[in-house]
Amino acid sequence: MKMQYWEDLSIGQVFKTGTITIDAEEIIAYATQFDPQPYHLDPAIAKESIFGGHCASGWQVCALMMRLLADTIKDQSIASVGSSGVESLRWLKPVFADDTLHATIEIVNHRSIESEHGYGLIACAIDVKNQHSESVIVLNTDIMIDKRNPGSNTD
Amino acid sequence: MPEPQHFFRSRWFEDIPVGEFHVFGNHTFGEKEIIDFGNKYAPYPMHTDPDLARDTHYQGLVASGWHICGVWMRLMVTYMERYATGVRDGRRNGAGIGFNNMQWLRPVRPGHNLTFTYEIIEKPDKVIRDKWGIIRSRNEAFNQYGELVFTFEIDILAERQPVDDLKTTE
Repeated sequence: MKMQYWEDLSIGQVFKTGTITIDAEEIIAYATQFDPQPYHLDPAIAKESIFGGHCASGWQVCALMMRLLADTIKDQSIASVGSSGVESLRWLKPVFADDTLHATIEIVNHRSIESEHGYGLIACAIDVKNQHSESVIVLNTDIMIDKRNPGSNTD
Repeated sequence: MPEPQHFFRSRWFEDIPVGEFHVFGNHTFGEKEIIDFGNKYAPYPMHTDPDLARDTHYQGLVASGWHICGVWMRLMVTYMERYATGVRDGRRNGAGIGFNNMQWLRPVRPGHNLTFTYEIIEKPDKVIRDKWGIIRSRNEAFNQYGELVFTFEIDILAERQPVDDLKTTE
């Protein structure tokens, strides 16, 4: 696929990601390294917790979103430079062992940065859903995209 | 030696003051952990390959922003267990519900050491499912040069003191 630069992208475009399934072993591995709380580490304790089941760390869900996003950017040959931040994110539902996630990525803004001529920004609204089509996280984030013509600041 | 019981008390939402500030931990990022995280969750050369990373915008290997978030969580859980402001009994601290204004301001490279701080900035006037209040905190991380590299504001639930409980303590 032809490389897609900042100039090739526009507001309103929607990308669908692939899917990713998370199992109990991965939930425990992430929790052991980053979020060692009983309801992520121990399926039995998790059943009795406020979550009602063995669920992933909210930060692991963010990381899984990153993986879905990275794979989509690669598949689409989008010249991404990375992201400088997340304007907002909401954790809406727990992600349980053996859930399968997918996401939609909508371009909601498309702009230049005055001090930066090498790349432009796209603002994305990302909605990550489980296999029941329930949103588990939603977020808004700016992604930096290389320009085909560095120096051009016209939209 | 058993640890004293009072050391593990939890606090209700009402007991947690705006302005409370903690320096809650620090972490040195290793090359291997940066690459392991990158391979699993953020497979870009700048996170996975020290040679290819040199040719990127970042001019070398950098930690994924979501890796920094994971380290934030790890240090927070460890600190809260040690100082027992709620996580220990898993009862009065609830889940995070969301965050705002997260910014990754400077690259975090192998060998960089980040120090993390946490300040309670607001207790929004909102009751969730009859029992939870919201604690909003500003979280920052500074590198070994004292430069701000990471910041965000997170909303975490804390259990409100039950009305019956209030009556008995009055």
